[in-house]
Amino acid sequence: MNPHDFDTAHKPTWCPGCGDFGIWMSLKNALAKLELTGDDLFIVYGVGCHANMVNWMKTYGLAGLHGRSLPVAQGVKMANHKLPVIAVSGDGDCLGEGGNHLIHTAKRNTDITVIIHDNQVYGLTTGQASPTARPGLKTKSTPAGAVDAPISPLALAITAGATFVSRGFAGDAKSLTDLIIKAVNHKGFSMVDVLQPCVSFNKGFDYAWYREHIYDINSEGFKPDNKVKAFEKALEWGDKVPIGIFYEETRPANEDHESALSEKTLVDHPLGVKDVDSLLSEFI
Amino acid sequence: MQNSITWKIGGEAGFGIMSSGIMLSKIYSRSGYRILCTNEYPSLIRGGLNLVSVRISTQKVEAMNRDLNILVALSKLCVETCKNDLSENAIVVYDPKDGEWKESDFPKPVKLLPLPLGEILNKLGAKPIMKNTITIGATLALLGGDIELLNQMLKEQFGKKGDEVVNSNIEVAKAGYDYVKENFPNEDSVNLPSGGEPEKLLVINGSEAVGVAAVRAGLNFAAIYPMTPINALITFLADHEKQLDIVYTQPEDEIAGINMAIGASVAGARAMVATSGGGFALMTEALSLAGMAEVPLVIDMGMRVGPASGMPTWTEQGELDFVIHAGHGEFQRIVLAPGDAEEVFTLTVDAFNLASVYQVPVFILTDKYLNESQWCVPYETYAAEVEIKTGKVVKPEELKEDESFKRYSLDTEDGVSSRSLPGMKYGNYISHSYEHDEIGLVTEDAEMRVKMSDKRLKKAEAIKNLAYPPTVYGEEDAEITFVNWGTTKGPVLEAIELLNKKKVKANLIHFTWLFPFPQKVEELLKKAKRLVLVEQNSTAQLGGQIRRNTGIDIEEKLLKYDGRPFFPEEIVERINL
Repeated sequence: MNPHDFDTAHKPTWCPGCGDFGIWMSLKNALAKLELTGDDLFIVYGVGCHANMVNWMKTYGLAGLHGRSLPVAQGVKMANHKLPVIAVSGDGDCLGEGGNHLIHTAKRNTDITVIIHDNQVYGLTTGQASPTARPGLKTKSTPAGAVDAPISPLALAITAGATFVSRGFAGDAKSLTDLIIKAVNHKGFSMVDVLQPCVSFNKGFDYAWYREHIYDINSEGFKPDNKVKAFEKALEWGDKVPIGIFYEETRPANEDHESALSEKTLVDHPLGVKDVDSLLSEFI
Repeated sequence: MQNSITWKIGGEAGFGIMSSGIMLSKIYSRSGYRILCTNEYPSLIRGGLNLVSVRISTQKVEAMNRDLNILVALSKLCVETCKNDLSENAIVVYDPKDGEWKESDFPKPVKLLPLPLGEILNKLGAKPIMKNTITIGATLALLGGDIELLNQMLKEQFGKKGDEVVNSNIEVAKAGYDYVKENFPNEDSVNLPSGGEPEKLLVINGSEAVGVAAVRAGLNFAAIYPMTPINALITFLADHEKQLDIVYTQPEDEIAGINMAIGASVAGARAMVATSGGGFALMTEALSLAGMAEVPLVIDMGMRVGPASGMPTWTEQGELDFVIHAGHGEFQRIVLAPGDAEEVFTLTVDAFNLASVYQVPVFILTDKYLNESQWCVPYETYAAEVEIKTGKVVKPEELKEDESFKRYSLDTEDGVSSRSLPGMKYGNYISHSYEHDEIGLVTEDAEMRVKMSDKRLKKAEAIKNLAYPPTVYGEEDAEITFVNWGTTKGPVLEAIELLNKKKVKANLIHFTWLFPFPQKVEELLKKAKRLVLVEQNSTAQLGGQIRRNTGIDIEEKLLKYDGRPFFPEEIVERINL
């Protein structure tokens, strides 16, 4: 497979230099390396700049509503659990509008991957603060600087029960590609939070800032096998900003508990009731 | 002898009130009678007053009647609440320990039947939870029934809990039966005449009925957040996951539920959600997604008293306008409303087939009264042959290597284009929330927007031709023609019988297909001499639909919105004859 096999007739409409390009490239690279064609997987998109990717990404998929990509992805997975299912989401989509879904998807541990485009702002609505906005960030909705505590997608996912929690950087396509491959291969709910510059509406956190501050925790010897240490690491943000795999564990996925899915997918079962008599006899 | 007896039991929640009603219902449905079992209860789990009524008749029961023949009171509050509903010479079974009653305490003459429940329990060393079993034994003695039928029921009910529990229940039931026989040996005023040849009948509540019909229609995925009055549907689906190879998932909220169902449906499952008004309010955004992306979806909307939290455990028909208009933007939908458990079967099967064939959301509009009442339906109705239609789905071999598949092809007579299922080679496409072109890529082109919008609405014409006209019950040349939808059907049918007895001819035009509005309704209405609209809401929502679609304004309206279903007698009283 070639990453360009996923291209469509549409050309990206993101701002030149947008972090979304790096995430898009990394996702295509990862899928090509995984030897998946557009017919072999399903991608669900929310609404936001991230979701415009749907138009230049040729796979089975659904362009959904703001915040609702994770429930759709779980429905797809339950119907056909042989398909790899990926939710492409944003920080506003996944942590604002759809925050509750993130918590419960992690809790269920459905075998899907979420890629969060995390740039601290709402780009498509021209630059309001997102739930991950760092304190002090000046945006159109926070002219005096953001004041709330930012949500950590990693810490939230770890506490809610996600079994693969990681963070990458849109400016490092090579390691982001590897991270996405690992996330997709992981059995259970996997999160890839991607730090992403917004060149139009968040000029402080640009490529140079991230390159200066990020460091790979795993290459420094951090092992992703301890929930408490992972949580602690997830909260780290300052002179140094950690990326890499924070937490990984093996736990049965939601679909593993469904007896109907033990031998074949739901869509492979014949429709209707085989033994009508035995079903109705309960009501006599 | 009366051929219909209405029995009511009431007491605090948690004392097996509902299961008593089901046991009594099944005893009689198995022995040649027809039944209807309804419940009334406040929104709480312990305490309060739960009431269950069972009407047993030698003929088909369409509705609960108002006049009670037997009241079994497990608390003083029960007698206080129900004493005005007792018919003349009704029997009141109560425990004197809960408070003494005199005949003069009641508006009509009644027969008091003190039954020392506590004493019997003490004597047999039985648990207070078994009080209701004593009263069912006593009830059988009053109705002239066979205690063996009750013993059989107790064996089925408690068999899983072991012999000790079964035997102890049989013992207390017999004590109740014997107490009545010994202390009131001449009490035969509520003996039932013998039933006919026993038929194979189901005793099933509306939610279970939707569940059984849905799985027979091919349902295999449901994501339903708990909400009264559709909780019994969740229980049914969750209990039968393994037996039926289906998946029931409990979502974190109704928004997740409908989005999961949409995902599952796109991936090829036959999916449904169920909820009530408040939950559906949360689903409306995704309803619009199903409309835009053309996703088959069935929504069981169990109406209850609103607005907001309203009266959660009481019935109403307040959501017709809501489901017809819900969702942003313009898209096609179908609204069906069953009036009883027999209609539930055919309409639910139709709902799944219509959703798949037309790739639209289809509503089954039910209500608390339908969902939580136990209905008596012939086995054959639910065992009937079912045709499962999956609609236009491409065969894998039809998909070409040049990837020319057009999911939203405009080359369609009825507005419906073939869909591929994820995983099919050369079939990939995007189910789109945004306006899109034929292959499923976003577009803001003016011409394409109009074409796509027209394609989606083209389904309306095809669907309209399928819409079944309302059913007419009763004779054609009636002086009064009732017009209704949903569960006011039963009370109106019985009201018509009562009117016939008064030599007043009446009939009923009953709508089961509500939207898009069926054709030829105008002719039907114009034939009537006097139209009377019957609805369980305060704004005559069907009346509004009729006016909008036919220009006919039905001025005479019987509306009820106190949360209680109509009684047939009440309809007769409210008609000026």
